[in-house]
Amino acid sequence: MNLKKYLVRALHRLQKGPGYTYKELLVWYCDNTNTHGPKRIIKEGPKKKLIWFFLTLLFASLVFWQWGILINTYLSYNVTSSLSIGFKTMKFPAVTVCNANPFKYSEVKPLLKELDRLIEAALERILQPGNSSDSVYPPLDLELWNQMPLVLIDEHDKDNPIILDIFETNQTAMGSQTPSPFLGSGPQNARGRLCSQGSDNCTYRNFSSAAQAVTEWYILQATSILSKVPLHDRIRMGYQAEDMILACLYGAEPCNYKNFTQIYHPDHGNCYIFNWGMDEEALNSSNPGAEFGLKLILDISQQDYIPYLSSAAGARLMLHQQKSFPFLKDQGIYAMAGTETSIGVLVDELERMGYPYSDCTVNGSDVPVRNLYSQYNTSYSIQACLRSCFQNHMVESCGCGHYMFPLPEGVNYCNNEDYPGWAYCYSSLRSSIKQRQICIDSCKETCNDTQYKMTISMADWPSEASEDWIFHILSYERDMSTNVTLDRTGIIKLNIYFQEYNYRTISESAATTIVWLLSSLGGQFGFWMGGSVLCLIEFGEIIIDSLWITIINLISWCKGLKQRRARARYPDAPPTVSELVEAHTNLGFQHEAGAAGAQALPPEPGTPPPNYDSLRVQPLDTPGPDSDTDTE
Amino acid sequence: MLPPAKITARLKRTLPVRGPQAPTLSELMRWYCLNTNTHGCRRIVVSRGRLRRLLWILLTLSAVALILWQCAELLMNYYSASVSVTVQFQKLPFPAVTICNINPYKYSAMKEYLSELDKETKKALETFYGFSEGKSKVRRSVDDWNSTGSDFFQQIPLLKVEDLSRTATDLRTGQKRRVEGSVFHKDSSIVNSADSNDIIGFQLCDANNSSECALYTFSSGVNAIQEWYKLHYMNIMAQIPLETKEKLSYSADDLILTCFFDGLSCDKRHFTRFHHPLHGNCYTFNSGENGTILSTSTGGSEYGLHVVLYIDEADYNPFLVTSSGAKIMIHDQNEYPFIEDIGTEIETAAVTSIGMHFTRSRKLSKPYSDCTETGADIPVENLYNKSYSLQICLHSCFQKAMVESCGCAQYAQPLPPGAEYCNYKKYPNWMYCYYRLHEKFVKEQLGCQQICKDACSFKEWALTTSIAQWPSIVSEDWMLRVLSWDKGQKLNKKLNKTDLANLMVFYKDLNERFISENPANTLVILLSNFGGQLGLWMSCSVVCVIEIVEVFFIDSLSIVLRRQWQKAKKWWSHRQQGGSGRAAQASDVERQGHDNPVCIDEDLPTFTTALRLPLPQDSPLPRTPPPNYSTLRLETAFTEQLPDTLELDPDEH
Repeated sequence: MNLKKYLVRALHRLQKGPGYTYKELLVWYCDNTNTHGPKRIIKEGPKKKLIWFFLTLLFASLVFWQWGILINTYLSYNVTSSLSIGFKTMKFPAVTVCNANPFKYSEVKPLLKELDRLIEAALERILQPGNSSDSVYPPLDLELWNQMPLVLIDEHDKDNPIILDIFETNQTAMGSQTPSPFLGSGPQNARGRLCSQGSDNCTYRNFSSAAQAVTEWYILQATSILSKVPLHDRIRMGYQAEDMILACLYGAEPCNYKNFTQIYHPDHGNCYIFNWGMDEEALNSSNPGAEFGLKLILDISQQDYIPYLSSAAGARLMLHQQKSFPFLKDQGIYAMAGTETSIGVLVDELERMGYPYSDCTVNGSDVPVRNLYSQYNTSYSIQACLRSCFQNHMVESCGCGHYMFPLPEGVNYCNNEDYPGWAYCYSSLRSSIKQRQICIDSCKETCNDTQYKMTISMADWPSEASEDWIFHILSYERDMSTNVTLDRTGIIKLNIYFQEYNYRTISESAATTIVWLLSSLGGQFGFWMGGSVLCLIEFGEIIIDSLWITIINLISWCKGLKQRRARARYPDAPPTVSELVEAHTNLGFQHEAGAAGAQALPPEPGTPPPNYDSLRVQPLDTPGPDSDTDTE
Repeated sequence: MLPPAKITARLKRTLPVRGPQAPTLSELMRWYCLNTNTHGCRRIVVSRGRLRRLLWILLTLSAVALILWQCAELLMNYYSASVSVTVQFQKLPFPAVTICNINPYKYSAMKEYLSELDKETKKALETFYGFSEGKSKVRRSVDDWNSTGSDFFQQIPLLKVEDLSRTATDLRTGQKRRVEGSVFHKDSSIVNSADSNDIIGFQLCDANNSSECALYTFSSGVNAIQEWYKLHYMNIMAQIPLETKEKLSYSADDLILTCFFDGLSCDKRHFTRFHHPLHGNCYTFNSGENGTILSTSTGGSEYGLHVVLYIDEADYNPFLVTSSGAKIMIHDQNEYPFIEDIGTEIETAAVTSIGMHFTRSRKLSKPYSDCTETGADIPVENLYNKSYSLQICLHSCFQKAMVESCGCAQYAQPLPPGAEYCNYKKYPNWMYCYYRLHEKFVKEQLGCQQICKDACSFKEWALTTSIAQWPSIVSEDWMLRVLSWDKGQKLNKKLNKTDLANLMVFYKDLNERFISENPANTLVILLSNFGGQLGLWMSCSVVCVIEIVEVFFIDSLSIVLRRQWQKAKKWWSHRQQGGSGRAAQASDVERQGHDNPVCIDEDLPTFTTALRLPLPQDSPLPRTPPPNYSTLRLETAFTEQLPDTLELDPDEH
């Protein structure tokens, strides 16, 4: 019973809306809302009312339109960039130094002996086709040759090119062979071509120059031979740290080859990384200038180069971040022998925001490519991803891994004996645009992109005056002998240091935050209508109220259907919902009252009950002349 | 008279036009303050006590001032741009790479054109510096001395100037003559070259007025001879037609020995010839001329362009160029390569590895900054058949000025339509004119620097250049032999390694940096900022602004006007009373003010006043209202709502 009373009261409260008809409700809302327009609609005269009605509508629609734009802007996740330049104490970059030549020729000579003899004989044949001096050489082992012969194609007759195998004198016409994808072959200058014999089809790789053909051919063959050599032997055949790094000075502190971490790089053999930060903390540099940077003296011993493998002589070096793998072919630079190369470094950083602002990856864990470089404990980079992607494709389609990239587990490197068709498979994969596109699409760049901008300058070193004693001391230190074992063609001096401004950081920040969105929304609402969130709540309240009215109307209508007779008698107890509803929704009654007001004199002369409230209201109305005129 | 009055009356009744809400200005203000939506104003009226009211007035005024200030700031900063940097990893278009030999034309082929000039130069070297190249050459030059020598060389000889006495020794005659006109030190105006007593230079005179002369002197003979040589060289070259010049220069086969791109072989068909006036035949790789632009989908040196160039050092012009090697430039396909200005030099006997980073930049054009999108809005005709750049504009502008003032075009720049290159035979005065004009150009007196604007978007390839020895000692032998074989049978001798240059151009990574300016403000944001400011200080909105316009401008004005009108009317009626009565007209005019409720006291009853009259007389208030039970109950429940609903009712009728 108590509960019911309570419920009724609660219902009352809820119902105690601003009016009992839609019109009352709207008028009440317009008069009492905090938004600026609606009040005008009911306060002004009929003409202005109309104007204000349309104005309010216009402003409301403007507000919604602009809100749409703002929300759209927010959802596009724009970023703004801020740039800062200056000098600060920074981690000195990791410095990787390699020799351009991967192995000491004196060490690998036994392995490459056959190949070298072959190429020498081939060159002899190419350069002097007339005099064949076969007798001079011991008989050649043509097994290597036959797998991948170098041929000359004479294209003077364009439709019927003549293929000329260097070690066989017979000339075969092209027609019978499987058609091969040629590219850009000049009709007048026929040059050496490489044929990679696949299992049953043969491709002629076209070169416009014999020098290129020979180099490419040699690299393929040497790759095949060296891939069979176990890693520790390959490391042994490369340049050792104590032979290569002659002097080292970091800032004022001496360092030596032991401060370098050895890493085996397929292109360049043994590489040495200074300040890689793998085991110990990375070194900081807090001063600009050459005096506080890294100074190195290297020996590349040019006499010991493999003649056909690399024709450029110098050191290869690269600056990179700590714990990242050095991709020397991409980012590396050369340092020339007999010179002093000074490298001023500016760290160019780009810090980006991850998803949803830009499509980048923080640590590469969300990239669908297995990172093969993780075996070096290095961090993710786009180059690592691309190479891993290529190697994975290579393993899938050729069954073996390429020598230049790390191996997935359980896979061997390709060589001519076990995988005779690998060279063909590799070159078709390498020139496949589709494969590259797949890799580009699946790899993502890192969010923090660091580039080392280098200002490179060179000078001759050592000078003629100082040459003698420098060579003497360095040779003595390295080989403990008084003979000079170094010369100009092998020695390189490097200075790597921070520039006066050592960083340039571009960092991103969200252009549109939720705070921005809210203040802009508020600004728009305020600008056009002077509204706030409370106004929205008010509006919601009105909607709830009008819903109530609808419900009440419905109920009363149903009740009216059920019981036609209205109750005339009012009980003393507080009115129930149904009673209230019934009374106020009796439109006919109200209409009568309204009509009476207009006609000023209702026909009923009966004495009414003392209507104190209404009396009190009316005197308030009279003093305001404007309200009086309004009623007209 | 009656029907229109009736119509107006009906109109007024149906759509009453009402005047201001208050009869006087202060009343109006009071009404405004009480009813306005802005905060602060109400406080002024409501507050009690003078101090408080003053405070509130001050506060409101300062809020208004703050709003105005902040909104002005917002408006002034509207055209500001924010910079965004995006990095995209993608397949990148490979840029065009233009390669030139530093020496423009084969010296052996140029002999017939340049023999006289060379003789003259050698003679100068001998007389001034006592340098002789070898006996045979000296003898020949002495022999031919008198027979050769055109009018032209006599006109502009090299001179040895003694600065203090201002006398010059002529190279040819050995005569001393007095130097007229002003002296220009070509090297620098700061360097005091008066210390050395013999300065070498040359004199340029106005052909029409020989007293107008300019003497160019140089602190070093090396510069003087090169400048002088170049002057005459351009003179000679201007007379040779383009086809001949192309033949005199290097062919693609001459220059490019091997070519390798993206792991595949390429040849001269991938190169487009482009004749540069100062560098002869240049070859552009990937010029996009056949419609396709090559792209790179993997970074790294093996996937880029790899060329070996043949630099025939023996065939160099000894006076025109003193360095040897090649010059390259990396540029966009639509861009003209200003290789003489921004080329990179390539050393011989070395491999030059050039790693690239690609950056694209974009500026906002007007009204954010003063740049041009296509160059169409620049009044200088683009003489180059390429897309607009600042360099192109400056050169075109200079060329235009040259054709206008000297009558002929300068050799190093393209020809405008209808003009021809300057040469001494036709335009004897051109050199003097050119040097004068060039000086003006450098001093920004030609206005070119003001006319030309920078382009809004540009592509930039940041290069990291490094050099290694090539070929290495052990590979030198076979490499040179094979390359000689590549070069073909026409070259019998073995190549020298100083005749070769190896060049590698590649992308370091495929990250494209795109730096773009974006408008920092849009109209939407500006409006919301306005709204924020208005709301923060006064809780104002556009509605308030409309209110302010209504009250402060329309209503106040109409009140003032009405006052004035009433005054005038009073004065008029006084006069009327004083003079003869013409009341009919006056009442006619009066009627216009009747819609004002304020004017009731003075006016005759009109329709509105007449309508209003019955109301106060028998208003329903004292009457006993009908037994309105429902309203009674309403009032108890919603005492405050009742007046509204009652007020509304009469409006329905």
